[in-house]
Amino acid sequence: MKAIIAATILGIVLMFTGLFVKDKKSVVSIAIVAMLALFGVSIWEYSTADPTAPQELFNNLLRIDNYALWFNMLMAGCTFLYVLLMGKRFISVGNHVAEYFTLISFILCGIFLLTSYNNLLMLFIGIEIMSIPQYILAGSDKRNLKSNEASLKYFLMGAFTTGILLMGITLLYGATGSFYITSFTFLQSTTLNPLALAGIIFVLIAFAFKVSAAPMHMWTPDVYDGSPTVFTAFMSTIVKAGAFVGFLRLFHISFGSLSDHWMMLVAIITAATLLVGNVTAVFQQSVKRMLAYSSIAQAGFMLFAVASVNATAWQGMTIYAVAYTVATIGMFAVLVKMKDYTYDGFNGLAKKEPALAFFTTIFLLSLAGIPLTGGFMAKYFVLNAAVQAGGMLWLVIFALLMAAISVYYYFRVIIAMYFKTGDAELNHEVTAADKILLGITCALVILIGVAPQLFIG
Amino acid sequence: MSAYEAIFWFLTVVALSCALGVILSRNPVSSVLFLIATFFAISGHYILMNAQFLAIVNIIVYAGAIMVLFLFVIMLMNLNADTEPQKNKLVQLAGVISGGILFLVVLAALKSSTVKTLEQTATDIGLIKNLGKTLFTKFVLPFEISSVLFLSAMIGAVVLGKKGTPHPNTENS
Repeated sequence: MKAIIAATILGIVLMFTGLFVKDKKSVVSIAIVAMLALFGVSIWEYSTADPTAPQELFNNLLRIDNYALWFNMLMAGCTFLYVLLMGKRFISVGNHVAEYFTLISFILCGIFLLTSYNNLLMLFIGIEIMSIPQYILAGSDKRNLKSNEASLKYFLMGAFTTGILLMGITLLYGATGSFYITSFTFLQSTTLNPLALAGIIFVLIAFAFKVSAAPMHMWTPDVYDGSPTVFTAFMSTIVKAGAFVGFLRLFHISFGSLSDHWMMLVAIITAATLLVGNVTAVFQQSVKRMLAYSSIAQAGFMLFAVASVNATAWQGMTIYAVAYTVATIGMFAVLVKMKDYTYDGFNGLAKKEPALAFFTTIFLLSLAGIPLTGGFMAKYFVLNAAVQAGGMLWLVIFALLMAAISVYYYFRVIIAMYFKTGDAELNHEVTAADKILLGITCALVILIGVAPQLFIG
Repeated sequence: MSAYEAIFWFLTVVALSCALGVILSRNPVSSVLFLIATFFAISGHYILMNAQFLAIVNIIVYAGAIMVLFLFVIMLMNLNADTEPQKNKLVQLAGVISGGILFLVVLAALKSSTVKTLEQTATDIGLIKNLGKTLFTKFVLPFEISSVLFLSAMIGAVVLGKKGTPHPNTENS
């Protein structure tokens, strides 16, 4: 609860910063301090909470357990890292720098609600608080037609999906007479009300849209490609992880006992997501668009955690969320420095900026899931959860095959950097501070791969 | 048939036929007018359920503010039959099939499930006093936290709507 309040208050403070502080660089510095404060508050909340007894707040509308606090802390930490790496680039998006930081703070507030809701009403408000600022951020580059398109497309599709989510919630309420996810009547009964099943499918579709799973992924490439790159980095990482925790919470805590009924559906969605994400990413010419498809592919792996109802899935979700977020943020931090977003734009980067090329390689290796990096451990945990759940061995084998395909398009960037000659032009100079920050991000990626238990909590 | 039932069925028929009118009419302006009529019929239902506050809010906010805004937008955009994009026959067919399947699923779910019937007791929960009490006690958290949602929507209106000075660096930012 402290983190939710802090995210809201810091958001409002940042908003007023825009009114009183005219210098944009100072606004960025204030925002970095604010995100550090939020990180601090979430650490404080985690360390002071009683790990055995979850807090039930406001008539049990929120149920903040240890997992939620740990995840909030990780997400706040990732946001701090994100702001450190890319805060300065906010200035080149548009004039409303303080407002962008405010919206990011509010998105975090929505994510914190999604990690701890215990009532479908709070789920709905959390999803909306998380989504609406994103529609704005997607369209913040007002003079760019692609950004306008991204914002409008995201908004219309998102609004439509909200309708589907609400309809699912209505059906669930009609079937069970309750909004509380822990008190659904079918948690005890073995027979299933068909109305509840229809509701579960509707909610599943809405969540699959939010996490960009196929076949509800159509918006993803256009939105991620059209939005300003700094905001794509946020939308495709931290927000996606937040949506996934909301997904996991509802489907494991509430519908977990019914997993026989929806597991196959989630498995099919997973397979489709892996196939579409990985195969389409192969044919992209722009690295930014490739990362958009790669984020669909990575969502496919995270869906394994949803499909397998056991404790390993929760650990897998945490570790996957962090490993994917850190590596992707690092990759985007490199990408915003490039002038040309195509693969050819990376030609010869290793000669010009050896450090930058080395860090990029580590991030890409992690995304591809090479051992000793975070991505490997993350994939290991989620696939392990699927094997433990049983009945999904075909899907695990299919996922490994898809991971092999993903190596192709991630390594294309590495080959361009190291083995092709060219003059990779940079948009911004790489300062020593940039190198140190990217180095820390890299160290985190390796640390997750070597000692994942540090991040499980 | 009591007067209550007569009014209920009358409002139901009006609401459903107006809702059909929204999607069946070719002219967007009459669609909006049908939608306003639907909202009025639903407000009538709210009054039947002793929820006067909801009925009034429904009329003021939806029928009043939002629908007038819709009407303005439609009139400003000057939508005619000529400007309507031509839809592919295949896409139309796919839409009909998937919509029909959805309809079947929901229909089957409704038919084969036992839905708890609503008890027809006179409740005062819809009155403004009780609604306010519930909002500020039991549901105070969602009530307060939706302010974050509205604040971000307002920020969005300013960020996207305010005319900014031209920015030197608009590419690849």
